[in-house]
Amino acid sequence: MTITQRSFVSIRVMALTITAIVVVGAVPVTGQESTYTAPRTPDGQPDLQGFWSNQTYTPLERPDGVTKEFYTAEEVAEIETGRTQGEVSQTTPGTIPDVHYDFTQFGLDRSQSGLTRSLRTSLIVDPPNGKLPPVTALAEQRAAEQRAARERMGGRWGAAEANELDDRCIIMIGAGPPMLNTGYNSNYQIVQAPGYVMILVEMVHDARIIPLDGRDHPSPKLRQWMGAPRGRWEGETLVVETSNFNGKNPFPNRSSVNAETGRIVPGSGDQMRVTERFTRVAEDQINYEFRVEDPETWARPWSAEMPMQKTNGPIFEHACHEGNYGLYNTLVGNRLEEAQAAAEVEAAGTDSR
Amino acid sequence: MRTRLGRLVVWGGLLLGATSLSAHHAFSAEFDITKPLELRGTLVKWEMINPHSWFHLDVTEADGTVVTWLVEGGSPNELIRQGVTMNTVPVETELIVDGYRSKDGTAKAVGRNFTLPDGQRLFLGGSANRISNER
Repeated sequence: MTITQRSFVSIRVMALTITAIVVVGAVPVTGQESTYTAPRTPDGQPDLQGFWSNQTYTPLERPDGVTKEFYTAEEVAEIETGRTQGEVSQTTPGTIPDVHYDFTQFGLDRSQSGLTRSLRTSLIVDPPNGKLPPVTALAEQRAAEQRAARERMGGRWGAAEANELDDRCIIMIGAGPPMLNTGYNSNYQIVQAPGYVMILVEMVHDARIIPLDGRDHPSPKLRQWMGAPRGRWEGETLVVETSNFNGKNPFPNRSSVNAETGRIVPGSGDQMRVTERFTRVAEDQINYEFRVEDPETWARPWSAEMPMQKTNGPIFEHACHEGNYGLYNTLVGNRLEEAQAAAEVEAAGTDSR
Repeated sequence: MRTRLGRLVVWGGLLLGATSLSAHHAFSAEFDITKPLELRGTLVKWEMINPHSWFHLDVTEADGTVVTWLVEGGSPNELIRQGVTMNTVPVETELIVDGYRSKDGTAKAVGRNFTLPDGQRLFLGGSANRISNER
């Protein structure tokens, strides 16, 4: 590499750093009343168009031991500093976390790619304790059946269909609905046209096409990964009601395991109904609220709220299948381990004879 | 084996909670923790694709033969958003990669660290700490 070329890399590093500072520093907090009125599209809709991020450190559920709804700004700063340092700290060679590329080298750690800031201690605002409601016996049974099916396939890496939906590039949690941040690439592009709103989800390049013409919800026989959305405007707020889920994409715990705690927690079923509310509260911020109703999964409805922060585009196509060599490599590794285990059993049997 | 894999799932889940950076793939299922390696080679191709980018490196073995290694890196989207292109890291760039070899023993690895011959990290590294401290 020539000096000029290397300088170019360094310049890019500086650009990334400065951009991240600007994005993080510009973020207002939620929990404040807004007097902002969004500009209008040519057909008169409040204009939500542009690129938005919901990257955040705020957990869905309130952490154990935290009893208040909001942190102070100083507490948030302290938490962010700790989390940031944790993300960029180097892992120990020879440990499982070390078997991974370095997030910071690719600008993928949350603070580096830009954070939306909220003082909330949890995204969940109802129930008031910031926790998911109790799950039903039916949901427990459904989760147990899902886990048993996976075990019959040899565990998560035993077969292609046992892998997570993320591993298989089918759908990621950022698509929702509801749309939760994915850890990195938590970006969206909103495009509006007469009668429609489209939300492009970066991970994994899903497009939510939302009709605004008041049409009925489709027949219950129609079941889709992201359900069937129907939108309308209530003043400044875009309201999107989604039903007709296929139930194969449990929310928020895809494999019935809470990724933040490791606990076994059932996720939503095909009867889930989601109501989202998008309100532009500042030039650079949308307040995103959602309510989840699924009587077959939770004892009561629950609601959450999070900011979406304006970010820069464009969104590079996340054509996940294109380079998903990982699924092949994982299955090959698993077959190899099976062969080794079988050989060990064979050898043990030979020794005992 | 199933028991051991089960432990890995649980451990991985807890660590995920510790970092809250969701890995798209279970890397420890793909690459062998007992096979750390260091590769020094010349870039012949950078697949700037998702879900993860792949660096193709020509590595000269001790006997003089050249082996092309495939090294897995991160999603390129954030780099692209900031203006990084394939030309930013041109073919023939010399790279040093610390990583772990694939479980099947072929010439594939995950790149734990990508560095240039002078020790500079290829892209970023630690800048987020500065962001936090400066705010």
